[in-house]
Amino acid sequence: MSYYHKIHDKPTTFLSKYVFSFDHKVIGKQFLWMGIAFLGIGGMMAMLIRWTLAYPGEAFPVLGHMLFPATNGVVPPDTYAMLFTLHGTIMIFYAITPILIGAFGNYCIPLMIGARDMAFPLLNLLSFHLAALSGLVLMVSLFIPLGGAAGGWTSYPTLSTLIGSPGAGQTLWCLAIFILGISSTMGAINYITTIILFRAPGMGYFDMPLTIWGLWLTAILNAIFIPVLGAGVLLLIFDRVFGTSFFLAGAVATSGTGDPVLFQHVFWIFGHPEVYILILPAWGIVSDLLSFFSRKPAFGYKATALSMTAITVLSTLVYGHHMFTTQMSPLLTQTFMTLTMTISIPSAVFFANWLGTIWKGSIRFDTPMLFSLGVVFVFGLGGLTGLYLATASTDLYLHDTYFVVGHFHYTMAASVLLGGFAATYFWFPKMFGRMMNERLGKVHFWISMAGLNGVFMTMMIMGYAGMHRRLYNPFVYEFMEKLIPLNKLTTVSALLMGLGQIPFVINFIYSLWWGPKAEANPWRVGTLEWTVDSPCPYYNFKEIPTVKCGPHEYGNPKLVGTDFQYQTEELVEA
Amino acid sequence: MLSILNSLSNLFLNGMMVGSDMSLLEQMTPPEDISTNGHLIDSLFMYTTVWNIFYFTLVCAGLIGFSYLYHHRRNPKAYYTHGNKPKQLLVTLIIGVGVFFSVDMYIATKSTHDLTTVFWKYPKGEDVMKVEVLAQQWMWNFRYHGPDGKFNSDDDYTSNHDLVVPMNKNIEFRVSSKDVIHSFFIPNARLKVDAIPGRITRMWVNFNKAGTYEIACAEMCGTHHYMMKAKLIVLPQNEYDVWAKKSSALAMQSLDEENMDNYWGWKWEESK
Repeated sequence: MSYYHKIHDKPTTFLSKYVFSFDHKVIGKQFLWMGIAFLGIGGMMAMLIRWTLAYPGEAFPVLGHMLFPATNGVVPPDTYAMLFTLHGTIMIFYAITPILIGAFGNYCIPLMIGARDMAFPLLNLLSFHLAALSGLVLMVSLFIPLGGAAGGWTSYPTLSTLIGSPGAGQTLWCLAIFILGISSTMGAINYITTIILFRAPGMGYFDMPLTIWGLWLTAILNAIFIPVLGAGVLLLIFDRVFGTSFFLAGAVATSGTGDPVLFQHVFWIFGHPEVYILILPAWGIVSDLLSFFSRKPAFGYKATALSMTAITVLSTLVYGHHMFTTQMSPLLTQTFMTLTMTISIPSAVFFANWLGTIWKGSIRFDTPMLFSLGVVFVFGLGGLTGLYLATASTDLYLHDTYFVVGHFHYTMAASVLLGGFAATYFWFPKMFGRMMNERLGKVHFWISMAGLNGVFMTMMIMGYAGMHRRLYNPFVYEFMEKLIPLNKLTTVSALLMGLGQIPFVINFIYSLWWGPKAEANPWRVGTLEWTVDSPCPYYNFKEIPTVKCGPHEYGNPKLVGTDFQYQTEELVEA
Repeated sequence: MLSILNSLSNLFLNGMMVGSDMSLLEQMTPPEDISTNGHLIDSLFMYTTVWNIFYFTLVCAGLIGFSYLYHHRRNPKAYYTHGNKPKQLLVTLIIGVGVFFSVDMYIATKSTHDLTTVFWKYPKGEDVMKVEVLAQQWMWNFRYHGPDGKFNSDDDYTSNHDLVVPMNKNIEFRVSSKDVIHSFFIPNARLKVDAIPGRITRMWVNFNKAGTYEIACAEMCGTHHYMMKAKLIVLPQNEYDVWAKKSSALAMQSLDEENMDNYWGWKWEESK
């Protein structure tokens, strides 16, 4: 089923072309700029955090005296709490979400399914501008009296109520998240509708590229669970501003008793699917890219798509493993543990499929492929280490230690970032009509890989040694003093990873203007976006294409003179 | 504030020398296990680690091996398969189910077993020592019932920052919080439990090694979260008895019945 729809007129003014554009491609790029900017801010915060942990009480080099004149350049403890709170919030909601979902979701969905735009262009426009507004609110919250939110990105009450955080920063944090929730919901509804209704004629669900599968499942999770978070932070705002006590209990609840654990339930009902919201687009992108650059059909396409669907469903049923230490009822604990364990079945299936895809391929190691292989590596580590935390008894020891920090950075930060970079290198020619530099891209990849493994692997080791999270100075504990050298190693690796992004920034900016002009199909890939010019013209497709074969037709021995087929071509029977 | 930071910084600049002569393996090991049941958690961790290393090696072998073997220069023509043949699907399925049964099912079963027979099986009877733990920003309060065996009575003795307990005795902690959520973490026993306002959570442990150790707050609880530590002092029974007697007498001497803050304890409901 496909709708031929007339879209808005071609914009003529600067404002309507670049700022308030209805065009999904422009909105995608806007999200990309926003995401990269926040990635920089969140990354800087990570540097401040890492410096404090490795060199407590020493001035932060270069910028320290400017940022913290009152303490001679040393990060003060209250600022440290704000830093890790905002680092988490920014990276999850303002860097990864805009890049993977906002930018590539917007850019790729209509192009890859053969549509001219999203189903609701106005909603799309609003979605970006609300996200930008929300980002503004969050950044403003840092500059008000008492500073920004400092209760961790999970903002557990009662710490995040007036008892623990009297400043307005926490209220603004809640407000920012609420606005962002509206923006994400709008985007999600748009993606779901577009994918269901606007697929080109002939494109069944199992003819969609896996990128679209990933983005679609993400959008479904977003549409269902972001409102749950919205409700949670709204109640928190009520507690803070109107004196209700949804999340207050015990001696501090002066007007009726609520329950702080209720917030944890609400938060993690959203929070666990959120992990998959972030990773599913990356999985989809990687599944496609592995096939494209191995010049071989995706191994077990249907099994991969169905595994992703299975994980999406399971992800909604396992959130309790974040709360084992709150002492839920034994029945719930065992149920959540067992349900969490079942996730490893679909995960193992698509790991097998990823390896099956490159098996006997003819692998081209272009930058996007390197990053995709990197995702398989880091997600392998991230996924397997999740087992310790799903096990309720080992979680008693590891919960809230750096083991958790290392684990979720492997899954959410490392995998998603590498996936995002793979996507950036891969679709850059289509977005901007120019190629990125391969050599700089490879330098970027290897430095990032070395850096992120140095950081996150060491974090897991330190966590196993007992170092717990969110400590301004871990070495007030005697048993952690032995971890000073490892902490320094982590910090140096983090610095390396940070510096490793410089080749990327140079490459990105340089290629925007001076990169070699890209052909329509530089990677020789058969999905629909590569049938149009680079950069993609205003109306995407002059005529809506008709899809006749799957997205991964490579290396068919019956083909003559080429090794792939466009999705618009009749399948050559092997 | 500044002077505190300066002295802290000096302290830890000196402290940096510590540990550098340790081997990496020593740095990686968790603190010494001083409890009768901590080894259950350690051994389950090790079991999972062995399987994880096995599966991760498989992934790496696939990644690196295939990348080498099927580089486009070595293998210019890819093998055309969609991976949908029954044999291929079977292999995929076997891998999926294999992981589930070799690792997941075992550790879930083992963990459930450990939890139901040890960690959730709270010891009963007269011989169990009871301690009430009240967390607040940013300190730990411990409450012992006095000779009368009842909490929140005049002969209770309390302690903050130091938890003194006897060796080789089942000890049950009931944990709550005054203000925000904290987490009562004893790294040397591999256990933690959240301290939640309005709730009482439980944890039991049996220390089998005397000495002085550390208790941490593991849940972010505000600016000075990192300072919220307590000392765990495990004494042989006879030394503990002396200490308890002395503390109890001291508490009776300095009793101030007017001050309601002294009665922060709660009634101990016997476990079912």
